[in-house]
Amino acid sequence: MEKKIRPDGREKVTGRLKYLTDLTFPEMLWAKVLRSAYPHARILSLSTEKARKLPGVRAIITHEDVPALNGFGIVTPDQPVLCKDVVRYVGDALAAVAADSIEIAARALELIEVHYEPLPVLDSPEKALAKSAPFLHPGGNVLHRAGFQKGDIQAAFSQCAKIVEETYEVPRQLHAYMETEGGVIVPEKDGSLTVYVGTQHGFKDRFQLSRILGMPEEKIRIISSPMGGSFGGKDELNIQPYGALLALATGRPVKIHQTRQESMRSSIKRHPMKITMKTGVDQTGRLRAHQTTITADTGAYATLGPAILDFAVEHACGPYIIDAVDTKGLSVFTNNGVSGEFRGFGGNQITFALEGQMDRLAAAIGMDALELRRLNIRRKEDPGPLGQRIAPTNGALEVLESAARVYHAKKQHMPKRSTWKRTGTGLAVTMHGGGLGFGRMDPAGGRLSLTENGKVEIAFGFEEAGQGILAVIEAVTTEALGCKKEDLSIVIGDTAFVPSSGSTTASRGTSMVWHSLQRLKGPFIKQLLQGAAQRTGIEEEELSIGPGGIWKEGRCMLSFESLAAGKEPIVVSTQFDFPVSPDPIDSAHFLYTYSGVVAQVEVDLLTGKIKVTELHQSTAAGPVVNELGYRGQIEGGGVMALGYTLMEDVVMKEGQYATENLDSYLIPGIGDVPFQLELEAIETLPLEDHYGPRGVGEIGTVAVAPAVANAIYDAIGFRVSCLPVKPEAVLQSMERGILHENRF
Amino acid sequence: MKTDSKREETEMIQVSFQLNGEPVQLTVSPVMRAVDLIRNELGQTGTKISCGIGRCGACSILLNGRLAVSCLTLAYQLEGISVETVEGLSDQSAIHPIQEAFLEEGGFQCGYCTPGMVMAAKCLLDSNPKPSEAAIQEAFSGNLCRCTGYGGIIRSVQRACSS
Repeated sequence: MEKKIRPDGREKVTGRLKYLTDLTFPEMLWAKVLRSAYPHARILSLSTEKARKLPGVRAIITHEDVPALNGFGIVTPDQPVLCKDVVRYVGDALAAVAADSIEIAARALELIEVHYEPLPVLDSPEKALAKSAPFLHPGGNVLHRAGFQKGDIQAAFSQCAKIVEETYEVPRQLHAYMETEGGVIVPEKDGSLTVYVGTQHGFKDRFQLSRILGMPEEKIRIISSPMGGSFGGKDELNIQPYGALLALATGRPVKIHQTRQESMRSSIKRHPMKITMKTGVDQTGRLRAHQTTITADTGAYATLGPAILDFAVEHACGPYIIDAVDTKGLSVFTNNGVSGEFRGFGGNQITFALEGQMDRLAAAIGMDALELRRLNIRRKEDPGPLGQRIAPTNGALEVLESAARVYHAKKQHMPKRSTWKRTGTGLAVTMHGGGLGFGRMDPAGGRLSLTENGKVEIAFGFEEAGQGILAVIEAVTTEALGCKKEDLSIVIGDTAFVPSSGSTTASRGTSMVWHSLQRLKGPFIKQLLQGAAQRTGIEEEELSIGPGGIWKEGRCMLSFESLAAGKEPIVVSTQFDFPVSPDPIDSAHFLYTYSGVVAQVEVDLLTGKIKVTELHQSTAAGPVVNELGYRGQIEGGGVMALGYTLMEDVVMKEGQYATENLDSYLIPGIGDVPFQLELEAIETLPLEDHYGPRGVGEIGTVAVAPAVANAIYDAIGFRVSCLPVKPEAVLQSMERGILHENRF
Repeated sequence: MKTDSKREETEMIQVSFQLNGEPVQLTVSPVMRAVDLIRNELGQTGTKISCGIGRCGACSILLNGRLAVSCLTLAYQLEGISVETVEGLSDQSAIHPIQEAFLEEGGFQCGYCTPGMVMAAKCLLDSNPKPSEAAIQEAFSGNLCRCTGYGGIIRSVQRACSS
């Protein structure tokens, strides 16, 4: 497939693209949000009196100024917009100030007087689950329980030849989108509100703001594109309510752009989880029993915590067919930062554990780890991980075989080891559900029009966060219609002009754009050709759509402009739901993508530092829509996962962030990653598969950590169970004498 | 960024410099950062702000041809300096070969780090038209990208130097 330049490319490389945090408006004020000083405290008093006297302060809002629902949350609105009685984490907001300058707003925050009565800090799920622990929410400290059982687990364990049990711990990861949360909220003359703030689902923000402001949704317009990265992190509301309330209070545009420190403090993160897996095999290497318990630290508020736990539970046995499965998950409220949606959505955590188990089991029975996977991996017609019917797929085996070839090739060309360096190669595979799953509202849709000025307008309620949805829309639409990209006008990210397409999450965008075009193209082309036939007198059957207009026998007979002139616009819309399994199993997915990862590491025995020298990802996600976009998602996802594996950990101590910026929270730089990243896209789908290209926004992040962990074992015999793998842990493992003797 | 408003009033500083070849003269607060001057006072928002502590490079600009982070440069320090931002590399009709290479190799996704990356690339290639792997790693060591994993950026730089 030819490399196509992204529609938003030129504006981005020239710096001309206006991000929403770049916008300014006449009379614009600057705002800041006061966050809690304590991770858990009662608010005894809150006085804004002194702050209000500061010259240049235009408005200060507290809980008293929230007109309707003082709460937000995509599913359960349990997070106060502005806290009244209690704060539950250091990102909780108490007040917000709009002022003539950012400096005045910052000074005003210092003048707001809050008296707190500190309460016990529940900074771990263990503490939150203790009998003596105070309840953080009326229902207690358990946000959600989820589970899956299949077969007789005890009987199955009793028949196993070997059983491996391990507890895996994974860290809190920061999305670290380069553009922190922000934008401008503008009160319009007609009493409506325009919100120029990035999000992954404009209509959902509109709904949430409507119930906070007590304002009809029709009076709120959300402009949500473009964004400087999101990765799941901007799906939940962030600063929108404060900007909106202040804009309404002052009647002036209000800009908020969080500093990195403010972002670190208030933004959601990836769920830290503790996962215990006990897995048994028989003599032949068949997986017989698999028991998993997951404890997730969901932080102070719900957001998408329940769905993320459900996803982890679903993927606990991954692409493997196991007789007896017993999975239990618990998502626990704590006074730590709020955990929520993040690229991979619980899959990354559980896959790290599961693929660790596979290598441990293989070693325990003296079997090749690839062979063990091959023996147990799902085949085309096998049901999904929750027993549900899924779209028949060979993806799991295909990525495994692809990764196996790469693995063997890399093993044959291992760099020569030096006195203080050891190298190792590791492999891992995974499957990852797309869409929100059974029983979750997951509507999609799009709209195709020939506008009055002769543009083919394609509109979706999606957002461009960098993932490349604009390029996907351009490629899929031009291919479906046969027109050229210059004929198109792509409309996204503005609730005033787009149809509902559902959220820009869950690797669903590419898939839903393709499905929409399959539905839209027939009726749209028909109407265009009918119109052209009337206009030209040529039989409809002889006409087709081509670059620039309507064609017959290799000649353009009528331009889109001429066809549109003087006519009512032609508009075709579609609304449908993301495909789900016919089996009514809550949260179960139907379309999956697959990944096989091979990593090569170099371990420095003196410093304990691990360098990933090679990373190869085989991905099965249907046809590639845009080569650069696909490569970018897989490579970039892989490197984000390398950070998760080796570097990244949002450290919290007693509910306070110890890492506050990118100097103490390290994400991979250019020197931390392999100079050449490798990938293979497996594009084939079974003949009967009519579901088209799948999104690859998440899959590149999911199986990297276990591949690296398995490579570390290969290099030095250290079984990694805790991420990120710190040099200290490597050195300690060597002090314990577990360096492979046979490798010296 | 905390400022004392009184002091600001009494000690404003005049600063003159060249921005992308055009003379600029402004009166600024002594604590104003260069990035705020460029973005807020001059409305040139190609230069981005992300970490604010000189770690991520999103605000990278060239000062007399040398790469600098404008979040750790104070506005008054621009006095007499030739300042180049991403806006200086292209006009409506033509874009710089480095930008062309970023486009063709997919050296960006969200694009927020891209102006800084492009400036780092320019700084590198101006002094070293055929950089080695190590030289590329060194040149971009102060610029973070969360989207691409750097593969596309490396390929862009390699394309830019081969063209």
